[in-house]
Amino acid sequence: MKFFNLFKKEVRELLTIQTIMTMLISLLAFYSIGNLMGGVVDDLEEKATEITICDFDNTEFTQGIMDTMRAAKATVKTVELKSDDYVAELKELGLTELIVIPEGFTDMIMNQNKLGEIQYFSTLDTLSTSGTISKAGSLAGVEIIQDAVKKTLLLEKYNCADERLLETSVIVNETTIVGDKSAQASATELSGYATMQGIFVPIVIFILILYASQMIISAISTEKIDKTLETLLSAPVSRISVLSAKMLAAAVVAALNAIVYMFGFRYFMDGMVGGTVEGSSDLGAIIAELGLKLQSTDYIFLGIQMFLTILIALSASLILGALAKDVKSAQSLIMPIMFLAMIPYMLTMFVDIATLSPVVRTVIYAIPFTHTFTAIDNIIFAKDALFWGGVAYQLVVLCLCMYFAVRIFTSDKIFTISLSFGKKGKKRNAGAAE
Amino acid sequence: MINVLEVRQLSKKYTKVLAADKVSFDVKKGEIFALIGPNGAGKTTTIRMIATLITPTEGDALVNGFSIIKDSAKVRENITYLPDEAGAYKTMTGKGYLEFMAGIFTTDAIIAKEYIAFATEICGLGDRLKDKISSYSRGMIRKLLLSRAVMTKPALAILDEPTSGLDIINALEIRKMIKTLASQGMSFLISSHNMLEIEYVSDRVGIISKGKLLIVGNTQELKEKYNAVNLEEVFERVVTDHEVL
Repeated sequence: MKFFNLFKKEVRELLTIQTIMTMLISLLAFYSIGNLMGGVVDDLEEKATEITICDFDNTEFTQGIMDTMRAAKATVKTVELKSDDYVAELKELGLTELIVIPEGFTDMIMNQNKLGEIQYFSTLDTLSTSGTISKAGSLAGVEIIQDAVKKTLLLEKYNCADERLLETSVIVNETTIVGDKSAQASATELSGYATMQGIFVPIVIFILILYASQMIISAISTEKIDKTLETLLSAPVSRISVLSAKMLAAAVVAALNAIVYMFGFRYFMDGMVGGTVEGSSDLGAIIAELGLKLQSTDYIFLGIQMFLTILIALSASLILGALAKDVKSAQSLIMPIMFLAMIPYMLTMFVDIATLSPVVRTVIYAIPFTHTFTAIDNIIFAKDALFWGGVAYQLVVLCLCMYFAVRIFTSDKIFTISLSFGKKGKKRNAGAAE
Repeated sequence: MINVLEVRQLSKKYTKVLAADKVSFDVKKGEIFALIGPNGAGKTTTIRMIATLITPTEGDALVNGFSIIKDSAKVRENITYLPDEAGAYKTMTGKGYLEFMAGIFTTDAIIAKEYIAFATEICGLGDRLKDKISSYSRGMIRKLLLSRAVMTKPALAILDEPTSGLDIINALEIRKMIKTLASQGMSFLISSHNMLEIEYVSDRVGIISKGKLLIVGNTQELKEKYNAVNLEEVFERVVTDHEVL
């Protein structure tokens, strides 16, 4: 009985309205993200069944291959190219992947006893995994061509049933296009490298946002709860000085963290991935040629974005910290920032935001942190308008947050507002009674 | 005698509550003035307005001739404020805290040293000043904060419940210290709901209830006027009379 009383008291202490609200908001956030991702995955799966082919050979054999593809429930679209500049043609036709079967393909296999050669063009324009998923259709198409040739050679030409006898049936010349540049390299390998960069940086950003926010919320709320803020603000020092010192100190510590993380990231990329890349032919040179490797200036741009995000997190945290009534409420106040960071963090890992519906895209872009999570994607793929637009938007949000933070700090509100989740709810004037 | 503080019709209205309603009183040089009243009477609101932390809805107060509304920066140079149940920066040592606060009040290193020496002398913490504040008892923190509040020898020291959390011996020491400093010319505005303490330490008291300052006077005069044995009885009778009226 005594244990039950103790247990009941502990549950009551822990299961507050803040905790329940946090759980409900988490549930809603995950449900929304899940729904959004589900929709995107459906679209991608649909796209993944699309195979675009330019058949210069146009023989019974190549038509048969395409029939096999259709039988595998793929949507086969054939296009005609007017020039030899396939990269330019691909762009003009608005395609992201294309398989080109050259003239004489059938003849080479059937009559000249040579390996068939096809060309596979694909564009790399995002670091999210959706980019890889969307290429699944064309890659499956390449496999179908290889299988068809293999079967034809084995069964019709050599009358042999063991597929292992033929290791290579068709040479696939892969060309990957990144912006205006293209190179003879596998898009899968390249996107593997690019994705490594795209995964690590958002983790750093996510940690930094939470770290900086927690730091300032706890600094403000502790000063408020301990009343050291009252002591300080009644001393001959301007409130703006107190506010600026707090912001600057938190920004310096967060920036130090950012620098440490960025160095760690560089070592990680140079060590783990760099070694692998350098070990595999001249893929490293291709990565550099295509601009998939971050350059020193890119790190500066990324640093600007990260610093802006930290400043936004800090200024928003100043407002949230001012709402703290006690230690418990101070701990809960990080939640809005955590959700606003988590949503773009999770989405950008899996989805290219630019491919979402306009309404959803606007909502996601309205979260200022989104622009930092997409920064590395925007830098690598030269989406300058999105990058600098994001920076401009973040500056506006920063100014707004700072305006409200200064308003709160330079008025009575710093002492009178607090966020209460009790029966009375809403904001209340703490200290009004006394 | 010169008025260090002149409070004129000071009011503060929150959304629904009139926390201070046209409060007026003066504090003279070297005087200990106490605002007494129950919890929620409006003491802290009045004190916070004088300390320039919150802005009055109506009225004004002058500290050494400077308006709390128009010259708040100048007012802050003439006052120090010790909030009720205030804490200190736990990561600092006691000495570090005094140095930090001295640096807030002056940029002159010699003057800062004088402030620190004075605070070290009156706080009585000795070698413990070298320890982290996180290791201090509540009483030790209060002593440190009180010494900080008077180390600059301000024209007006505003102390909200100065002896809260202190044991009898420590509380007595603090009261003696306040009286000694007042005799040297420092003025004090003290808020407390401990009427017996106020009776011992203050020169004049102001009884405040529900935001209104009901009466101001010398402790002895008030006791005679209300035929009361102590300040608690005076308070009870003043509040009852006010409610009847």
